[in-house]
Amino acid sequence: MSDLNAYRASARAFLETMDAKYGRDARAGNTVEQDLALGRVYMAAKYDAGFGGINWPVDMGGQGLTHLHKIAFDGEEMQFGMPVGFFGISLGMPVPILMHYCEDKAFVKERVVKALRGEEIWCQMFSEPSGGSDLAALRTKVEPDGNGWKMNGQKIWTSWAQYCDYGVIVTRSDPTVAKHKGLTYFWIDMKAKGVDVRPIKLAGGDSHVNEVFFDDVRVEDSQRLGAVGAGFAVSLHTLMIERYIATDSGGFGPHLDEFVKLAKETDLNGRPAIEDGRMRSAIARNHAMRAGLDSITARAFAMMMAGMQPGPEGSLQKLVAVRSRQKLSELAMDMRGNQGLAFDEHAFVKTDWGTSWLNAPTGRIAGGSDEVLLNTIAEKILGLPQDHRPDKGIPFNAIPA
Amino acid sequence: MSILYDEGQQAIATESRRVLDARTSKDRLLKLLEQVGECDQPFWDTAVEQGWTALAIPEEYGGLGLGLTELGLVAQACGAATSGAPFLTGGYGLAQALVQGSDAALASEWLPKLASGEAIGSVAFAEGNAVLPPVPAVTFADGKLTGVKPAVAGGLKADLALVWASCAGELALVVVELANASRSAVDSYDNSRLYADLAFADTPAKLIALGDAARALALDVLARMAVVTAHEQVGGAEALLYVARDYAVTRKAFGQLIGAFQSIKHRIAEMYGLVEVARANCIHAAAQEGTSEFLLAAADARISATEAYDTNARDCIQIHGGIGVTWELGLHLHMRRARSLAVECGNLLFWEDVLVNELSGEKA
Repeated sequence: MSDLNAYRASARAFLETMDAKYGRDARAGNTVEQDLALGRVYMAAKYDAGFGGINWPVDMGGQGLTHLHKIAFDGEEMQFGMPVGFFGISLGMPVPILMHYCEDKAFVKERVVKALRGEEIWCQMFSEPSGGSDLAALRTKVEPDGNGWKMNGQKIWTSWAQYCDYGVIVTRSDPTVAKHKGLTYFWIDMKAKGVDVRPIKLAGGDSHVNEVFFDDVRVEDSQRLGAVGAGFAVSLHTLMIERYIATDSGGFGPHLDEFVKLAKETDLNGRPAIEDGRMRSAIARNHAMRAGLDSITARAFAMMMAGMQPGPEGSLQKLVAVRSRQKLSELAMDMRGNQGLAFDEHAFVKTDWGTSWLNAPTGRIAGGSDEVLLNTIAEKILGLPQDHRPDKGIPFNAIPA
Repeated sequence: MSILYDEGQQAIATESRRVLDARTSKDRLLKLLEQVGECDQPFWDTAVEQGWTALAIPEEYGGLGLGLTELGLVAQACGAATSGAPFLTGGYGLAQALVQGSDAALASEWLPKLASGEAIGSVAFAEGNAVLPPVPAVTFADGKLTGVKPAVAGGLKADLALVWASCAGELALVVVELANASRSAVDSYDNSRLYADLAFADTPAKLIALGDAARALALDVLARMAVVTAHEQVGGAEALLYVARDYAVTRKAFGQLIGAFQSIKHRIAEMYGLVEVARANCIHAAAQEGTSEFLLAAADARISATEAYDTNARDCIQIHGGIGVTWELGLHLHMRRARSLAVECGNLLFWEDVLVNELSGEKA
């Protein structure tokens, strides 16, 4: 524990030296492009200081430390609001999967270091118009083409694809077998001929997700990750890599202290809102819930340090935290009345209730919707039966559209 | 204190659950609902025999010198079994007050008896919805106690009570022998809790804390009891989760298991979430015993555990449909207990206020 505490302290000391140049205040008012440029410089500085690829192997350009060191660093970094959002998915899933499955190690190492330094960004292309929660319903197809493959179709909700250099993708290579069985996984060059990225403007006004179209895109067989037909297993592996990440019981919105502060400062019916029973109840319920999630995290952390496998209750974090953040944001806006009608599109989600509210639905859908998470808890933890699945065991091309 | 249970603690959890599984009788508990003045004696005999009364009493007073974590694990097992007697939590609260209070002779006299189960303790703070009344109606003067404490859990059979009282314009914590008080049973929806109105008329009592010290001690005792109760609530809520799950994987409707319907499976998944959040808060609170964070942690545990038990009682019955409301199936044992525990040692309204006061820097 002392080693980890010392590491956390050194991480904090480093982050404090970076704060003035890259932290939340420094980023205020940046356009997305300015923020991305700033983020690339920060990533390089972080790498040079020895905080890039913390839990990745040294021979791949990482630091060779444990997963716990990574969580410790991320927990500290999150508090500074550094411009790292562009690189989260890239380093979280596609690059680790490349390290695991790609056999050309010299190529991999070059990609890893460039990704860690923010010079290259990777995206992950899973969801399609015909399948978000139902991943295996995907239709983007690959066909043998000489000694390689030809790809056609469309992906959607691909984060940061417009800025990406590479991506990982799961496609249908055999429509004549059951839907989970005919999938194959590749990495692709996002600048390749036939790849067309079109940003989607979201409710909050930003465009961090995209549609990606593939029109006869040439893919070499050396770009395949895992066996032909093993794409679903590689996809699940991808989703499992970041199973234990730095969580936020505030649902990635404002800290409850912000709500308490607002309630103390706001006059409601001639007295501070903090004295209003409705506000008090909301504060107390949210605190109890968040404290429980924090304790689950602390326990998972302690178990990992003791070499044990954390319990499945960690899967509650996003489900419980984000939906409650959504309601608390509404209440904060109610508390402000018409003073809360003003809206700043560039405000930060962790400090602004309006922004937190407007972006909360994304959090409840992306990375597993509330409903899918509830299904997973019910089926995997509690042993309840699967939903009725009429397409089960039927060849993909025989499933009624 | 660690938030991972060690081997000894795990053994306490397993053993207490095993013993109660073997000795609890639903039929016996159901009968008690319709009898005023009776509790489940086999349960209490088990508690004494297993040393649960001695668990959290210091060794110098004949106890085992363990803490809230261990007592909490036993309480969790009791909650799962809808235990048939209310003395464990009250006895613990009284013992803590004696340990921390100013009367060493009184502590030496009673703590060994509480540890051995020879004496039964209870705690009488609340008057109506005032959990810790700012001006208690019960008064203490010249070594004597006067007034009525309504519906004290375990009050009907306890030998000794810790009482929150007024004392010449100040607040006081006093200890009174109930042999000298008059008690009248409350016919309740959860009769094995042995609720009694305790009436004192110049009843001899001993002061153990006065003024600010009394208030601080009372709040600490209440917080400790709340953490024990929260564990008991988690035990009940968890039992209901698995009763609901087991029913959903055996009962069929419309040609399939009802657990395949999302309205049912999501409800059960939500029950799981409530249990795990409350459990995590309980583990954290027990580990914070004696620190400056304890009151806040106790409030978190109490609020989440009350929500978990009430909700799971409601939803477990709902998932069962008609059979769920029958006397015979007995889910109402949990539903009743969820409410009696929700009110004993401070309702949600009280703990929400305690929590917000702690957060906003105001005094509780």
